[in-house]
Amino acid sequence: MISSQLTGRRLWIAALVVPPIAFMCLFLVYPILSAFAYAFYEWHGLARGDFVWFDNFHRVLFEFPFSERTINAFKHNIFVFFALMVLQNGLGFILAYCLWRELWGARFHRIAVFLPVVLSTVIVGLLWKLFYHPLFGAVNATLRAVGLGSLAQPWLGQDSTALTAIVVANAWHMVGFPTLVFLAGMQRIPSEILDAVRMETESEWVKMSKIVWPLVAPSATVVFTLLFVGAFNWFELPFIMGGVDGSPHGATDVLGLYFYRTAFGSMSASAENFGPGSALAVLIFLFIAVVSSVITIRLRKREIQL
Amino acid sequence: MARLSLRGIKKRFKAVEVLHGIDLDVNDRELIVFVGPSGCGKSTLLRLIAGLDPITDGEFLLNDKRMNEVAPSRRGIAMVFQSYALYPHMDVYENMAFGARLMGLSKAEVEARIQEATRMLRLEPLLERKPRELSGGQRQRVAIGRALVRKPQLLLLDEPLSNLDAALRSEVRLEIARLHREIGGTTIYVTHDQVEAMTLADRIVVMNGGRIEQFGSPRELYETPANTFVANFIGSPRMAMLGVEREGDRLIAPGIGAISLTRLPSAADRELLMGVRPDGMSISPDLQGEGFAAQVVYTEYLGDSAYVYVKMGEGAPVSIRCTPDTQYAPDTPVKIRVMPDKLHFFSSNTSQRLAV
Repeated sequence: MISSQLTGRRLWIAALVVPPIAFMCLFLVYPILSAFAYAFYEWHGLARGDFVWFDNFHRVLFEFPFSERTINAFKHNIFVFFALMVLQNGLGFILAYCLWRELWGARFHRIAVFLPVVLSTVIVGLLWKLFYHPLFGAVNATLRAVGLGSLAQPWLGQDSTALTAIVVANAWHMVGFPTLVFLAGMQRIPSEILDAVRMETESEWVKMSKIVWPLVAPSATVVFTLLFVGAFNWFELPFIMGGVDGSPHGATDVLGLYFYRTAFGSMSASAENFGPGSALAVLIFLFIAVVSSVITIRLRKREIQL
Repeated sequence: MARLSLRGIKKRFKAVEVLHGIDLDVNDRELIVFVGPSGCGKSTLLRLIAGLDPITDGEFLLNDKRMNEVAPSRRGIAMVFQSYALYPHMDVYENMAFGARLMGLSKAEVEARIQEATRMLRLEPLLERKPRELSGGQRQRVAIGRALVRKPQLLLLDEPLSNLDAALRSEVRLEIARLHREIGGTTIYVTHDQVEAMTLADRIVVMNGGRIEQFGSPRELYETPANTFVANFIGSPRMAMLGVEREGDRLIAPGIGAISLTRLPSAADRELLMGVRPDGMSISPDLQGEGFAAQVVYTEYLGDSAYVYVKMGEGAPVSIRCTPDTQYAPDTPVKIRVMPDKLHFFSSNTSQRLAV
C-alpha cells in the first residue's frame, strides 16, 4: 500500500518535472552544445564540412576582417556595461534610497519608476527612436524650446552619440529593476540599526555610504551580475534602434549583433557563415559564464548576514 | 554633567496623543528608570529625549539648553538599543570606532577611548569578531561600549536586558550599575520589569497611559505609593487591595470581616481602598477575633519563605508572606490579620493615596 503510494507520488513528481526539463534540454542545452560542436567545423552555407579544430576561433579573434569587428563590438559592450552600471544601477540605487526615505511623492514614484520595465523592448526602442528624431523628436524639440537649439543634433545618426543614446534609452527602460531590488534590500535593514546611526551622525552621505550601501550588498550582487550578463548579451535595443549593422558605421555594433550577422547573414556581411558565428557564440557564452561566476563569488564574500 | 528637564512634553502620532504632558527634572549623575506596562509611552519618551522622534509640544532642556531642534548626534546623548543594533558589517572594534571617528576626535583619542571601554567591559578577546559571532550578552556589552566611547552626557538604555536569559540578566544588571558609577554621567533606563527598576534606580518614573504616575526613589514608591496603579505595579507579589467602609474607627469589608484602627486617613471618604503588601499580613487557622475571613487557594514554597495565596470575598487571590514551614491545605478557612502600620489607603473615587 505504502509503496504504491510512493510510486504514485513519484509519478506525479516526474510528470511535473520532466516536461520543463525536456523543454530546457531541447531549446537550451541542445543548441548550446550544438553551437559548441558547430564551432569546430567548416561550413558551406548550411552544409557541414571538415572538422577544422580551432580555425573558426582563430579567424574570429585574429584574422581580418573578423577580428577588427569583434574587437570593435567587444569594446562597445564594455562601454555599455560601464555606462549602464552608472546610469542604470547607480541611478537605481539613488532612486531606491529616495523612495525608501519616503521623500515627497514616494508612493507615486514607486510605481512610475517601475512602469517602463513592463513595456516591451520593441516599444521602448521605437519610442526612443522617435524621441531622438533629428527634426521632430522630443529631445531636440525640448532643447530648442529652452533655448539650447545649438545642442540639437541627430542623436542616433552620428558616431559620437549613437551608442550613448541607446544606452540612455536602455537605462530609462530598465532602471526600475535595480531600483526595486535595492529598495527591497533597504527595507530589510532593521530600523534600530538606522536609529543607531542617527545617534552618531546626521550626515546622509555617511549613513548611505557606510551603513546602507554595505548592508544592501546582496542586492548589489544580483543587479551587478544581471547587468553584466545583460550588457554582453545586449541585442534587442541596438537591433531596433541602430539596426543589425550597428549603424552608423558600426558605432552601435555589439557582440550580439555581430554574432547574428555572421551566423545568419545580412545585407552587408553577405551569406551566413556558421563556423565563425558559432565560434563567436561560444566565446560570448564562455566569457559571460566565467566572468559572471567570478563576479558573483567575489561579491558574495562582501555580503553580510543581517 | 547632565541635568535634564522635560516641560509639558507631548507626543502625537497623527491624531493619537501618546504622551499627555510630561514634566520631569533629573539631576546630574542620577540613574533614572522609566518603568511601566507596555504601551505606557516610556520608550516613546526615551526616543524623544534621544531625538529620534520629534517632540510635538513642550520643551526638553539638557543643562538648561533647549534640545528640541538639535539633531540626535549633536545632543551629547548615546543610546543602547533593545536589539543592540550593532552594525553587522563591522567588527567589534569598528563598531566602537565608527561613532567616535564621526565626532572628529583624533586617532589617538579614538584609540584611547576604545581601550578604556574595552577594559571596562572586558571586550579584549572580541575586538576582531563580527556581531553575528557574538552571544547575546557579548553583543550587549559591545552596544554599551559603543555608547561609552562617545563619552555621552546622557546614556539611554532601552530595555537592555530583555533579550538576555534570566541567569545573565542579574549579572548584566550589576554590570550596568557598576558602569554608571564608574562613568559618573546621567543614565536613563527603560524597562517594564519593576524588579530591575527597584534594584537599579536612584529614582524611578512610573508611567501609565502616557502620564507619569509617580516619580521618586524606590523606597518612596514602595512605602508611599501615590495611587493604586503604583501600589499595584511596584512590589512583587502585588499589594492586596480591599474595598472597605469606614464606621467610626472601624473598617468593614462587607462579608469578609472588620478591624479597628487607632489611626485612620484624615480624609472624610466613607468608602476607601485599603492596600496591604504580602509582608503586612499574617495568617492564622484560629478563626476567632478581629480580622478578615479567607480561604486558602495554594501555598508557594520559596525556600527562605512561603507565600500563601488566599481568596477574600470575590477579588483576585491575595498573597501573604509566611515562614517557610507554613503549610495549608487548599480550601482551609483562615483568618487574615493586618499590621496597622503597614496599611495604605486610597480614595475609591480618585485612586489617589490618602494620608493617615
